[in-house]
Amino acid sequence: MSVLDLPRLWRPETHQALFRRILDATARPGQIADLGDLLDGRPAALAALATFCDNTQTLADLTGTLSETDLAFLDVGKATPEQAGFILARGADAPGFIPRLGSLDAPEGGATLVVMVESLKDGAPLVLTGPGIKRTATLAPKGLAPDWLAARARWCADFPMGVDIVLADATSLMILPRTTKIGA
Amino acid sequence: MHPADTMGQTREGAQYGFAFLDEDAKRELRRSIFKAVCIPGNQVPYASREMPIARGFGTGGMQVTLALLGPDDTCKVIDQGADDSVNAANIRNFFALTCPGVTGTLRTEEASVIQTRHRIPELPLRADQILVFQVPYPDPLVVVEPNAAKRRRMHGRADYARLWVKLYEDMVAFDEITISHRYPTRINGHYIIDPSPIPRFDVPKLHQADCLYLFGAGREKRIYAVPPHTDAVPITFTDVPFAVESFRDKTTGKRHTCRRCGADDSFLDEFLDDDGARIFQCSDAAWCDMRLERLEAAE
Repeated sequence: MSVLDLPRLWRPETHQALFRRILDATARPGQIADLGDLLDGRPAALAALATFCDNTQTLADLTGTLSETDLAFLDVGKATPEQAGFILARGADAPGFIPRLGSLDAPEGGATLVVMVESLKDGAPLVLTGPGIKRTATLAPKGLAPDWLAARARWCADFPMGVDIVLADATSLMILPRTTKIGA
Repeated sequence: MHPADTMGQTREGAQYGFAFLDEDAKRELRRSIFKAVCIPGNQVPYASREMPIARGFGTGGMQVTLALLGPDDTCKVIDQGADDSVNAANIRNFFALTCPGVTGTLRTEEASVIQTRHRIPELPLRADQILVFQVPYPDPLVVVEPNAAKRRRMHGRADYARLWVKLYEDMVAFDEITISHRYPTRINGHYIIDPSPIPRFDVPKLHQADCLYLFGAGREKRIYAVPPHTDAVPITFTDVPFAVESFRDKTTGKRHTCRRCGADDSFLDEFLDDDGARIFQCSDAAWCDMRLERLEAAE
């Protein structure tokens, strides 16, 4: 396979474009990053992993949705959800693990969770506040088990330790850094 | 066409991948930038690759910028506010050589990514703009604690007592806080950052801004960030308010103005003319030029 034949999701220029939209969404929690035009029908959650993962990272795929080919392209090590730097999970399934939270000295060691939901805007609205948000922002995930919010609150209780969550529906992402406060 | 097939054609014999760095290096930078934005003010380590200029000349800022840039970007590079100083011009030429498609600009409002050494542009930056700082010394605690591991612990616990003592000692010895630039600034109520050697004048621009600020230290191998709409408070005492440069004439009490555009609200560079007289001029060249254009258009 020559470079020209690489599927779009695995090309360097796609990763650059994805990163800029993910960075913008990270800096502005509550803002939805629409990746539709970059995906060629592949899931947005996979695009987030493609942007960040390589053979220096570890991934726990709790969904079983990644194909052998996807895993080969990601070239990422496998790990348990307790040890992995990246976790791919289904929002409908309540989390049954405690991810890496980093340490006070190195909070950047906290895991990045990519959580697949049905939709980012068709569920019951939640109010977001925190860095990156001018006054308040709204998140309305559909297909996110309530246990996720309780678990995230526990994991992020001791700032600067915590986890950063990428919520993904089919074609778009929203990022919840550990600093974002979620209210009703 | 894949960029690997179009890039490197800009100069004879030069075969660079788009944005110079290999994809693994860019991905590592992007992971660090992501965590830096998620934990505002936290210094995230990264590998800091060799660049074709020496560390200490902006390699940290360059690596962050190269991890960001895509062919549809417009990039501006400034050094102490000026686009035409050696450091800024060389870095801009390097981006032009290694990032085909990226447009260079001198105008602040046109840029999507601005790399800066020691100034924040006068023109308020928008939400669709990113400012990348070149950082010589990322850690504000280095003046009070030489051990890097201990500094990490102090940061994690937000233990900044010794920094406060340093400021207090300034008050005792000099009746004022003597930090003119690199003013320690608390981000989102936890981490205190070194905002790079920007003057005090620029520190308030970090607070609740519309744009994203990214800081890259090449020699010290750290990346940190101030996200938009985030508290950035210069540390001071309740009875000693934070003050920016006033540019007031000591005898007349009037504020100096730019000799080119007449601005009385910008950060001014002071120098001597051929006769030894003190003159003042906007440090932000693009701001000064924009004001001149407007004045000429109004005439």
